[in-house]
Order: sequence, then C-alpha cells, then structure tokens
Amino acid sequence: MAMNELLQYTIQGLAAGSFYALAALGLAVIFGVLGVVNFAHGACYMLGAVVAAVLQDTLGLGFWPALLVVPVLLFLFGVVIERLLVRWLVGLDPLYNFLLTFGLTLLLVDLVKRQYGVSGLPYERPEVLTGQIEVGGVGLPIYQLFVFGFSLLICALVWLLMTRTRVGMIVRAATERSDLARALGINVGRWVTPVFGFGIALAGIAGVLAAPFRAITADMGSNFIIILFAVVVIGGLGSIVGAVVAGFLVGLVEAFGQAYAPTYAQIMIFVLMAVVVLVRPAGLFGREEAAR
Amino acid sequence: MSNDVTSGATAHLDLPTDDVHVSATTPRRSGLRWLLLAAGLVVALALPWFIYPPIAMDIACWALFAISLDILLGYCGLLSFGHAAFWGGSAYCTGLVAVHYGVPFPVAVLAGMLFAMLIAVPIGYLSVRATGIYFAMVTLAFAQMIYFIANQWRDVTGGENGLQAVPKSFFGIELVETESFYFYYAALPMILLGMWAAWRIVHSPFGRVLVAIRDNAPRARALGYDVETYKVVAFVLSAGLAGLAGGLFAISHGFVSLQEVNWTTSGKVVLMAVLGGIGTLWGGVVGAGFIVVLEDYMASSGFEGIGIVTGSVFVVVVLLFRRGIWGTLAHHLGRRRQAGTRD
Amino acid sequence: MKRKAAVSAAVLSAGALLLSACGQGGPGSDGGAISDDKLVLAVLNDQSGVYKDLSGPNSVKAVEMAIADFEEKHGDDAVTSEIEVVSADHQNEPDVANTKAQELYDRELADVILDVPTSSAALAVANQAKTKQKLFINVGAATTELTGEQCNKYTFHWAYDTYMLANGTGAAVTKEGGKNWQIIYPDYAFGQDMENSFTAAVEAAGGTVGGTIPTPFPNDNFATFLTKAAAKNPDVIGTMQAGGDLVNLVKQFNEAGLADKGIELAVGLMFITDIHSLGVEQFAGTSFTDAWYWNMDEESRAWADRFLEETGTRPSFAHAANYSAATQYLEAVQRAGTDDADAVVGELEGLEVDDVFLRNGEIRAEDHRVIHDAYLARVKSPEDVTEDWDYEEIVTTIPAEEAFRPVEESGCSM
Repeated sequence: MAMNELLQYTIQGLAAGSFYALAALGLAVIFGVLGVVNFAHGACYMLGAVVAAVLQDTLGLGFWPALLVVPVLLFLFGVVIERLLVRWLVGLDPLYNFLLTFGLTLLLVDLVKRQYGVSGLPYERPEVLTGQIEVGGVGLPIYQLFVFGFSLLICALVWLLMTRTRVGMIVRAATERSDLARALGINVGRWVTPVFGFGIALAGIAGVLAAPFRAITADMGSNFIIILFAVVVIGGLGSIVGAVVAGFLVGLVEAFGQAYAPTYAQIMIFVLMAVVVLVRPAGLFGREEAAR
Repeated sequence: MSNDVTSGATAHLDLPTDDVHVSATTPRRSGLRWLLLAAGLVVALALPWFIYPPIAMDIACWALFAISLDILLGYCGLLSFGHAAFWGGSAYCTGLVAVHYGVPFPVAVLAGMLFAMLIAVPIGYLSVRATGIYFAMVTLAFAQMIYFIANQWRDVTGGENGLQAVPKSFFGIELVETESFYFYYAALPMILLGMWAAWRIVHSPFGRVLVAIRDNAPRARALGYDVETYKVVAFVLSAGLAGLAGGLFAISHGFVSLQEVNWTTSGKVVLMAVLGGIGTLWGGVVGAGFIVVLEDYMASSGFEGIGIVTGSVFVVVVLLFRRGIWGTLAHHLGRRRQAGTRD
Repeated sequence: MKRKAAVSAAVLSAGALLLSACGQGGPGSDGGAISDDKLVLAVLNDQSGVYKDLSGPNSVKAVEMAIADFEEKHGDDAVTSEIEVVSADHQNEPDVANTKAQELYDRELADVILDVPTSSAALAVANQAKTKQKLFINVGAATTELTGEQCNKYTFHWAYDTYMLANGTGAAVTKEGGKNWQIIYPDYAFGQDMENSFTAAVEAAGGTVGGTIPTPFPNDNFATFLTKAAAKNPDVIGTMQAGGDLVNLVKQFNEAGLADKGIELAVGLMFITDIHSLGVEQFAGTSFTDAWYWNMDEESRAWADRFLEETGTRPSFAHAANYSAATQYLEAVQRAGTDDADAVVGELEGLEVDDVFLRNGEIRAEDHRVIHDAYLARVKSPEDVTEDWDYEEIVTTIPAEEAFRPVEESGCSM
C-alpha cells in the first residue's frame, strides 16, 4: 500500500512539476538572452490555456492541434511584445523590464476577465487521455503520465536544439556564460526577438497542457508565477538544466507535501527556496560566482 | 555584482542623482524647498476638505508606504516585491494590540511598526544576499510565506474573514474615534513624522553610503563599507516605515484583511513608487494620490477591469516617463533653471 | 535639523486644532418621516471579479425591479415617490468595501446597503452599519459570523450561509444513502467552517466521516488529495472547494475516473453560474445545496422570465434574494411610515413572509438570520438539459427550520 501511494504521489508530483519545468525553461532562456525576468510569464501560461479553450469553443480545434497551434500563436504574441515594448528597455536596468511585464500582466489578466468572464472556461479532454492504467496494481491517471512524458519530450527537444544547432549553442552560451559569450564576441542581437517568442511559446505549451486538467480562469497564472519565481531561484536563473530540474523538484515537494503535511505544502516550497538562498545564493545549478 | 545573472550589465536607473549628491544647497534652492514644503503641508492639511476623509487617509498611508519602498528602490537600487509583508504584518500586529489592549491608537501603531522591523531582520538578512532582479523574486517569495501564515493562523488573524472591529481609541476623544474627518488630523502627524524620517535617512551620511553602494558596490566594499549590513539596515528602516503606514491603515479602516499581506499589495505600492518617480522620495506621494483616487473613481464608474487602466498607465510610464510624474517635473524644472543661470 | 521638525510639528498641531474647531457637521437625520426626502437603496458588490456573474450588475437590475413593483403596487399611497438605486464595485477587496460603505451611507445618503459578497468585505460593512446605525442586508456572503458573534442590530443575512450549505448537502446526501464520507476542504476560515458543519450534519444524519483532508488555498493540484480520499473507498467525497479550485478538483475527480468506481461527489459551495460557464458535463451528477432555483416552480419561473427580459440572462439565487430583500425592506418602510433605521428594524424583526425567493420565510429577531426553505439539487446530465440554464434537478426540499443554524447555537447577542 505504501509503495502504491508513493508511486502515485511521484507521478502526480512529476505531472505538476511538468508545468513548472516547461514555464521555467522559457523564463530561463528569455533571461539568458535578454536579461529580462518576464513577470508576464504566468499570464502567458494563462493565455495558452485560454486561447486553447477559445479555439475549441469557436473553431472546434481539438487538443492535439492546439498543442501545435497555440504555441505558434503565443510565439507570434511574444514577437510582437518584444518588438513593441521589451526592446526599448533592453540595456537599461533589468528592473524596468520586470516592471514593464508586471504592468503587462495586470493588463492581460483584466482584458481576459473582461472578454471571457470570471467563472472560467470549459475545456473538453481528448478521449484517449482519460482514465487510468494499472501498473503493478496501482491505477495511474493517463493524463498525468502524458503530461510528464510530453514535457520531458519538449525538454529533450530543447536540449538537442541547444547542443546540436548553431543558434542553440549561441543561446546556451548567452544563457549560461553571458560574460564569456560577450567577451568572445558572440552576437546574440538578432536572436533576441525569436528567443523571446520561443520562451513565451514554452509557457503557452504549459498552458495548453493545463487546459484539460485545471480551471481556466484569468487568474490561473497569478499563483503560478510566484511558485515559478521560487523554481528559478532554486534552480538558478542562469541555468537551463537548473530550471527544468527545479521545476520537477518543486512539483514533487508540492505533491509529497500535500500528501503528508497538506497545510504546509506551499510554505515548504518557500522554505526550500530560503534554504537555497542561504546556502547557495546562485541556485542549485547556478554558478557560484554569479551570485556576487 | 559583475555578472548579468544578478544585476544586469550596468545599472541604468534614471535617477535624479544630483538631488542626492548636492547637499550644500544654494540659498535659492533652499528657498524653493521651503516653498515646496509649505505647499505640501497645506495640501496635507486641506486634503479631507476636498476629498472624502477616509480616502484622504488612504492616500496618506499609501504615500508613506510608497516612500518607504523608494528608500530601497531609489537609494539602494533594490526592488522589494514583498513589502506587503511589513505593511500587512504591522497591520495585523497593530490591529491585535488595539483589539486586545484598547490602547490609544498611536501606541498600537508603534507596536505594529516594531513588529514589522522585527520580521524584516531575518527576511532582509536572507534577501540582501541576492541583488538586482533576484532580490525582487526572493522578497516576493518571503512575503508569500507571511501571507500563508496569516491565512493559516486563523485563531489570531481571523483568516479569510479578517480581523474585525479594530477600535480607534484616542485618549478618550470621541470625535476622533467616530469621525474619520477628525481621525485624519489625529493620524497625520505620524504620517508626516514618517515622511520626515525617510527624508532624514536618505539625506544622512548613511543615505549617501547607500547611494554609493547602489552605484558601485565593489568600490564601496573596497572603501571598507560593510555592504550587506548597510543594506540590511536600510531594509529594516524601510520596513519600519511601511509598518507605520500599514498600522495606521488598519486603524483607519477598523479592520485588517488578508489583502494587506497579499502580493497584489506589494505590486500596488511598486506601481505607486514608479509612477511617482523612482529615487524622488516625494514622487511616492503623487503616485499614491493618483492610484487611490483613480481606483476610488473607477469603483463607482461602472467600468470593469481596473487593471486595464492601471496596467496601461504603468506600461506607458515605464516606457516613456521612467522618471515618473514627480521626477519628470523636477527634471524639466531643473533644466529650465539651469538654462536660466547660464544666461 | 531637529528644531525644524519641532517647529513644523507645532505648526501642524496648531493647524489641526484650528481645523477641527471649525470642522464639518456630523451626519444626522432631520427627524422627518423620510430622511433627505428620498429613499436610497445601495447595492455594493463585485462588478468585475469572481462574483460578478453570481450577483454583480444584475443584482442592481433585480433591485430596480423590486422598486418598480413596489411603486406599481402602492401607487400614490407609497411612503415616498423618490426611490433611488446607487451601486458601487468593491472588487472583492474588503478595504474598498469598507470605504465605499462609509461613502454610500455618508455621501450618497444610502438608507440600506444590499448584497456585499465576500465574507471579509461583508463583515467590514456590517461594522460600518453598526457605527452609522443604518441598515445592511447581506445577500452574497457566506460567513455565519454575520449572524454569530459579530452580529449587530442593523445587519440582516438574507440568502444563505456556510451552515446552510454544509448542513443541507451533508444531511440530505447521507439520507439518500451516502453513508461513508471523505471530506476535502480548503484550509482557511471558510473551508474550516464548512468542514465542521458538514461533519456534524453527516454524523447527525447517521453517516460516518472516515477522514477529513485539508488542502492549501488556492491550489490547482488536487490529485494527491483525491487519491488519498479514494483509497478509503468512501461512498461520497464531499468537497468544500469553491470557484476555480472547485473546477480544478472536479476536473481531476473526473480524470481519475472516481465516478466509475461508484464514488459520488458532493459539493459544499456551488452556484448555477459555475455550472453555466464550465458546462454541465463537468458537474453532471454532483449534489449541492441551493437557496433557490429559477425553474423550481411556476412562481419562480414567471419571475425568471421577467428577469430574462430585463437582463438577457437567467437569475441566480443571489439575484432573486436581492429582489426579495429590497422588496421586504421597502414594505417595512411603508408599514413604518418612515425610513428611520430603528423603526424599520422593528418592522423586519420576527416577520414571517413568503415571496418569490423566501418560502416559509422568517426574519429571526434574535440573530437577524433570515430562514427559508432550501433545496438539495443535483446537476443534470447533458442529455436531460432542455433549454439554456436548465441545469438543476431539485432532489429534496429542506424545511426552513432544519436548513439553518438553530438560533441557540448562533452566539449572537445584540
């Protein structure tokens, strides 16, 4: 019995962590190349889910095509935001872009509220992904397994992109060793816009994955972004691997915390963050000298 | 501080640094200062005659709160996105002291203020280890912890229902206790005292060291300043002023709700400080007045979605008027005067 | 520098004294039958946030309907022909509600404030009503504190509360055969209240609560809690989640296929607007307690048709309750011949009344809880839905005296 529960909680934690991992990955890449912490990342996650629901409602677009279409739309949205707004503040203190995206969050959330109401939007799940499969006598929800598997796949693809392509290597160099990248004369300039869009698209994928599983409301990103900040602080903002690992780690802490100490589940995430800040200010995977 | 990860390439906050560095004021400037000060006092005293007194009190509280944030943001370059912890923490402590001991409200507010400074010590100690954007995220997360505690500790805080029926005891003076118009004048001296303290802090030698740290931490360290300690002290002082404001807010409203410790409150005060102008101190007053009046107006206007307006205003200010309202005015005035003296 | 401060402080306090000497006059009534020659009904609610659909702008419409009906009924005999509605948005922020309530009483000359969803906001307004000695009829908030320890002479609680919801669902579902319960509740004031009342109701009805599971709030991952609850093989899982959290939980309940395992889902707090926006299929088969349903009988339906004409949508129970509260307030003023708050309170206290919303209604004098029949509703399957907003099937009627907290348990003393 105890083993069964352990397995179930683990899967639940990894599924919850998948949303954090995907979104944190986007956040980390954007930060690496632009030096911008995107406060609107939670709002973009929300947009991913809302757009998927609206497309399903108006055009009858199903879950599978949405997994492709919505990230593309959010990529374009990110490109527009970068060109129109973010661009003007790059090179200034990064606080300004943090503040800009905070203002953008207020705007986006209330626009969605105004347009689509406050009670939430319905979303129909694909039939294939409902129900459970039995693994050694334990019923594991198929959708959670799918979310975990799919996000791992996306993370793996991003990793391949980062290590096998020229663009990817530039982006990775900029993310993880920005000082060196600059010293070596690597020019990230023309990749700035697509990278911003790419990061937003990753949050969008997380949003689509959340649509069948969570309440789709304008506020769904508000709590999310705060946990996401804890994730990137734990993982280390300058680390791609750190973002993903910390994402899954926080998901597991959440699931096991909920199982064994429900009242303190959310506080535990912040305690973990406080400990990391105390012991390794740069985050678990960040480079130590980066923090000072 | 040499790396992107924590501080960005080089800090480029649009700050009116001359205001800070030039301490020896010319007679003309000092005359202008007195004029401004007098004008400010007149506005503060006249406010409840023109604005509904509880709203006037809200403006005063938020103004001090925004100023307390600006001490960190404008003079240390630290954006605290968790200041609601101190505003709200003090509000709860003030409310509890007032409810359980029935002391005159200034005493309760002082207790709240001390409590805010107390919790600021560990939070500040941990947070200043991070700089730049990291600092914002870490303070936000700590404030969330305070929020969870306030929500969970229902027997003390009232949880979701809030802490209700906080009295306005004031040495048995009935009018102050029942009429918000008179309460405003009873509370105003504490607000003004807080503002004066903020002004003293940033214009003291201590404040100048803060600015030096903000502009170049390694150099300040090389000169022998204990950078971290300076930051923690600034953090605690700022939290104290935020607590003073939050305590008065709790008394003024007669109750404390979870809203006071929520991150949206932290966001709102950042909005006010930036709108008024980072590093101008008094800009916070303008920002607070603008936002409080706007929100009050919108609540009765029938327009849904206040975030659309405040969000847009914020985006425009950050993009086009980074000096904020006060900062932009001061900048233009300063330039004209400079041009004038050159002639 | 210190001297400068001392001087300015002195100037300040002198100024303050001067101002207070010639200060404004306090609020007061002139002693006439109708103060300020008009009757002002204020609706203070959430016109932009989570409760916008439940009450919001359409509650204002409902109050306007009540005034129109009152004027039609009494014609020239009406106590006054000057009746106004004002409204304000409290954005679910208790601070805003508090300030707006003062403003409505002082500046808009409101004689009564109606609605006010969100418990913390409602309690703040109740305190203002007590200070200003003006009426406050709450419709939208759920906390029993309003008629409990924080009750006061000028505050009435009209439609529902946590006790009614939990007690109704807990007792009725248990009597229907769901004996063995697991309860999942959000770990804050509302959820804890609900959990206590629920457990008491289930046990009183002969059921057992095998376990109660607190969850964080807000929260979007309920899988762990559902797994824990389902492991005990209960007949029913009771959830005290509301709003977005409820939707999260229901989605994950469906996802885990718990209904197929024969586990029923009973909901503590659900509104018809939740069902409408998320689709009836999400909630099909779940049981909950409703204070009123637009299609429950001819009278309700006739009123709901009028409401539809006015607003383009079907009414929630909160809309009907606001209509009822405004109507009974106006009738009380009519009988008293004055809008003096104490006289109106006297008219309302102990009143036994039936209207479109209140069935077997009574305004309890002891705690100002308005009791009336409540209903255990079950969400229809999508194939049984025949028209828009046709979502509920009324399973049983819970008589007024059983539906609400007994007066001796209220802890209210005025």
